[in-house]
Amino acid sequence: MSFPLLTVTAVVPAAGAVVTAAVPAARRTAAKWTALAFALATLVLAAVVTARFSPGGARYQLTESHAWITAFGVRYELGVDGIAVVLVLLTAVLVPFVMLAGWHDADPLETSDRRWRPTQGFFALILLVEAMVVIAFESTDVFLFYVFFEAMLIPMYFLIGGFGDQAGAHGEDEQARQRSYAAVKFLLYNLVGGLVMLAAVIGLYAVTAHQLGAGTFSLPQILHDRANGTLTLSTTAERWIFLGFFFAFAVKAPLWPLHTWLPNAMGESTAPVAVLITAVVDKVGTFAMLRYCLQLFPAASKWATPVILVLAVIGIIYGALLAVGQRDIKRLIAYASISHFGFIILGIFAMTSQGQSGATLYMVNHGVSTAALLLVAGFLISRRGSRRIADFGGVQKVAPLLAGTFLVGGLATLSLPGLGPFVSEFLVLVGTFTRYPALGVIATLGIVLAALYVLVLYQRTMTGPVKAGIEGMKDLKVRELVVVAPLIALLLFLGVYPKPVTDVINPAVKDTLSDVHRTDPPPKVTVPAVAAAKENAK
Amino acid sequence: MSATAAAVHSLWTTRALADTAATPAIPTPHIEYAQLSPVLIVFGAAVLGVLIEAFAPRAARYAGQLAVSVVGLAAAFAALVALAADGYAQGRSHVAAMGAVAVDGPALFLQGTIVLIALVATFTFAERRLDPVAHGNRVDSFAAQGSAVPGGEQEQKAVRAGFTTTEVFPLLLFAVAGMMIFPAADDLLTLFVSLEVFSLPLYLLCALARRRRLMSQEASVKYFLLGAFSSAILLFGIALLYGYAGTVSYGGIADVVDGTAKLTPALANTTGNDALLLIGGAMVVMGLLFKVAAVPFHMWTPDVYQGAPTPVTGFMAAAVKVAAFGALLRLLYVVLPGMRWDWRPVMWGVAIVTMVVGAIIAVTQTDVKRLLAYSSIAHAGFLLTGVIAVSPSGVSSVLFYLVAYSFVTLGGFAVVTLVRDAGGEATHLSKWAGLGRRSPLLAAVFAVFLLSFAGIPLTAGFSGKFAVFKAAAQGGAVPLVVVGVISSAIAAFFYIRVIVMMFFQEPQPQGPTVAIPSPLTSTAIALGVAVTLVLGVAPQYFLDLAGKAGVFVR
Amino acid sequence: MNAYAPILVLGGLGAGFAIFSVVMASLTGPKRYNRAKLDAYECGIEPTPQPAGGGRFPIKYYLTAMLFIVFDIEIVFLYPWAVTFDALGLFGLVEMLLFVLTVFVAYAYVWRRGGLEWD
Repeated sequence: MSFPLLTVTAVVPAAGAVVTAAVPAARRTAAKWTALAFALATLVLAAVVTARFSPGGARYQLTESHAWITAFGVRYELGVDGIAVVLVLLTAVLVPFVMLAGWHDADPLETSDRRWRPTQGFFALILLVEAMVVIAFESTDVFLFYVFFEAMLIPMYFLIGGFGDQAGAHGEDEQARQRSYAAVKFLLYNLVGGLVMLAAVIGLYAVTAHQLGAGTFSLPQILHDRANGTLTLSTTAERWIFLGFFFAFAVKAPLWPLHTWLPNAMGESTAPVAVLITAVVDKVGTFAMLRYCLQLFPAASKWATPVILVLAVIGIIYGALLAVGQRDIKRLIAYASISHFGFIILGIFAMTSQGQSGATLYMVNHGVSTAALLLVAGFLISRRGSRRIADFGGVQKVAPLLAGTFLVGGLATLSLPGLGPFVSEFLVLVGTFTRYPALGVIATLGIVLAALYVLVLYQRTMTGPVKAGIEGMKDLKVRELVVVAPLIALLLFLGVYPKPVTDVINPAVKDTLSDVHRTDPPPKVTVPAVAAAKENAK
Repeated sequence: MSATAAAVHSLWTTRALADTAATPAIPTPHIEYAQLSPVLIVFGAAVLGVLIEAFAPRAARYAGQLAVSVVGLAAAFAALVALAADGYAQGRSHVAAMGAVAVDGPALFLQGTIVLIALVATFTFAERRLDPVAHGNRVDSFAAQGSAVPGGEQEQKAVRAGFTTTEVFPLLLFAVAGMMIFPAADDLLTLFVSLEVFSLPLYLLCALARRRRLMSQEASVKYFLLGAFSSAILLFGIALLYGYAGTVSYGGIADVVDGTAKLTPALANTTGNDALLLIGGAMVVMGLLFKVAAVPFHMWTPDVYQGAPTPVTGFMAAAVKVAAFGALLRLLYVVLPGMRWDWRPVMWGVAIVTMVVGAIIAVTQTDVKRLLAYSSIAHAGFLLTGVIAVSPSGVSSVLFYLVAYSFVTLGGFAVVTLVRDAGGEATHLSKWAGLGRRSPLLAAVFAVFLLSFAGIPLTAGFSGKFAVFKAAAQGGAVPLVVVGVISSAIAAFFYIRVIVMMFFQEPQPQGPTVAIPSPLTSTAIALGVAVTLVLGVAPQYFLDLAGKAGVFVR
Repeated sequence: MNAYAPILVLGGLGAGFAIFSVVMASLTGPKRYNRAKLDAYECGIEPTPQPAGGGRFPIKYYLTAMLFIVFDIEIVFLYPWAVTFDALGLFGLVEMLLFVLTVFVAYAYVWRRGGLEWD
């Protein structure tokens, strides 16, 4: 038995959560450093995982497999493909930045009560979320995935509800009420999604138990048995079970019209927690569409594709339009995210290799770019004590560094060429055009709108005369620069040279597409040069 | 008696004939003391407890009762383990005491669960650190003198004298013994007698709360009246089933249902009469559904759970459910499997209504104990989905769910006893606001219990729910699973609401305090947490145990 | 549906009997009321008025009645055992001793806790 690298990658942050939570109340700073150390250790491990992964090799690598609950046919099975590797690395990269950005977010206002230890709780919960997300990416057993897919809601719920932003437009009581509303909304939406998926998971078990004699949740085994014909899902069963799975992922992702929890959750939580939601946890939803919906239920995925694509495009346009109209910085970014998730889902279900590579790459780029934009926005909001766009103006004169990084984050969000998201958005659109030109055209409108909301946001907050309350605004501190600079560097790198990432992703995408029995459509447009060459040949 | 004699003399008979007829051929009954030893030990301990009450000086009673209860229950558990090790846990089975009591896997599993529940409940019964010291005496959750008028002079005198009702321990043991026989009963009369044996002590225990005595007595009367009503229905059902089959033994009735019984003249007249079977079976099942608190037989649950002393509520919520579901399973799987096409649609309906009503009404509750009462109703519905499966995996999933549910319930009610204000336990939900700020550990523990009730993965509640839903889906009851999932979502809402109150709301200025319990209650709570996490993360061992136990003897 | 017909008949008969009894009693019975007749019937004790404000409910009557029933039932079991003593032999003796013993435990409890004192 080889070294259980994947398990360790998830266990380290989990252990970190326990250790951090155990730090005495008075030693807050020690707790922070402990948590950061564990997060960095996880990053190192994730880097090792990436290094050990060979893109051209077996489909699932670094696999581990142990019996867990034999009565349910559940195994503890881990394994990563190219998509999972990239997302594990993304998670591990983002979490230390999240921690650094939220360094002072959970400092208690009064320190008299010895048993109240919010700081320890905050950092422990972040590590717990990281552990659960990592294991969800790594698992190749549907049940194991489901367990952590659901369980991660609980720490996330406490992060949203327990550590809110103090910068709302209302009084403190109203703020607390809003925050707990947002947390409950987040939890209930996702819990309902998860419970519907539970019914589907049980259905999957019943089908496998009926046909194979013993129920199984193992993804490789189910794929294998389906390939050799031992396991056949009836059309009806496949569609119902697919819907159960997809519903849960669509809530998590979030897909229009199941998105309404996201603006609340992101608006009320602190910027680092919002990053955790949109850049890390939501990625599990889109990832699961790729890994579970498409691979387990290829026929049903094809059957549902038209509806999903339409919903995705509606999401793109709807999110972008609402972002334009927002008066709250964080809610604006939330709606922008909804629009971007529309692109990701569009890419996944266009079922072309460019589309899916683009979607996967988009998950990474969206994670990094949203993190950069949100974290800078968080610095901005905490300085002013408000998140209303109208309260800002002329920041670039007072804090040029802050404004500059904000601009870069914004430009990444609107997919400026040269920055990461451009490549992925381009790939998604190309992938969509080859099969669904009309949808591609409409989706492109989303880019135009993105330019609108980002630039208007920048113009209102950063340019113009310096508003009251902005005069004394301090520029970025060293800690904040340490957070932002690497993220921006990463965006630039991914924008100029995405090949290392796509090299890892592409074989996995090819495997997924072959599961769905789809190949890229041949180019239909007659390229003039080719036509001319043909003429010449005659 | 010869036929001619009977034809000639229908009113009297001759001496010679009577003498020959009366020659008794009563076979000496034999009782398998070894196989019944767990129950007998508990009964013995209960009788010993009564003697302690009669002869021991007042000061020595508490310690004596506690010792007798704990030793008795531990010995009973040891006897159960010995029986299980003897092969009864894995398919060996026997019907003891002249066909009255079955000794088989499910019976032993359920009895073991009940004994362990009782052991934990004994700890919470014996807790004497929570209530403020009254006139120099440490007191528990029970009335100083049950017969005194609430608030009257007699009661005050009893409180001043430091009286405590130590009778609760023998009462608990009697109830436990009845519950142990209930799921093992192999004829309808034993079923009825054991039902009464465990019900009567519970009626008494419900009336013995130290605080809010009127409410407690009201709860007791309500429970007693409705309980008596349901007993009567059960008994009527038993009579009809006897009329149908000419026997009260489970196996005998099942044979008649299947049509494999030898037709005696008595049977020949009634055996075709399915009306007796249908009505009788329905009435017996109704009596049991009352005990498991399934809708529409659930009306008593919230009032009784709220009024009864909280340790009693915890015990009742856990143990009665285990015993009654055991009896229900045996009845449906041993006596009426031949009728499953008749009872399954009805039970479908009951399960759906129970899940949905329990979950929906719970949403509007403002009292922790009532909330847990409605949640226990909803859980009865989840358990019924497992019962409906009619398969070995159905049995084992219900057994597993019962273990998971009961220890979490015990722990949950134990937590409720700790949150107190001047009037005793502060059960109104608004008082729980901000508890997470004041005592994070307690709030976190309660949150774990609530998450387990809600069926969040990595808790016992999830494993249990998955097991019963899986069994139901494999039995073809997919719509039931869907309803179950939907009502889980509704139920999750109100569990989450309590968590929101505890963690995200500011504490009230005159909020409750959290009492520091003795190791007794702490043990109960810690056990609850341990079971929640172990059954959530590594349930395999217990699933195996339940799986091996899953065959009834007939 | 036929199988369920008897339950309807049974219900009908039950309701009919109740209605018949009440109606016939009110039609045919002589009506000469006095105070005692109008009181609610509680065997043996005055149901009303209750002593107000903390008085005690006299339960001695019930206690005695219950004890009587307990021992009465004990006799009911003892008698057939005595008749078939030969056939049941040692087993019967042991079981009956256990039975008598448990009843006496309850008796001892009542006696020691003052249940038999009439004040």
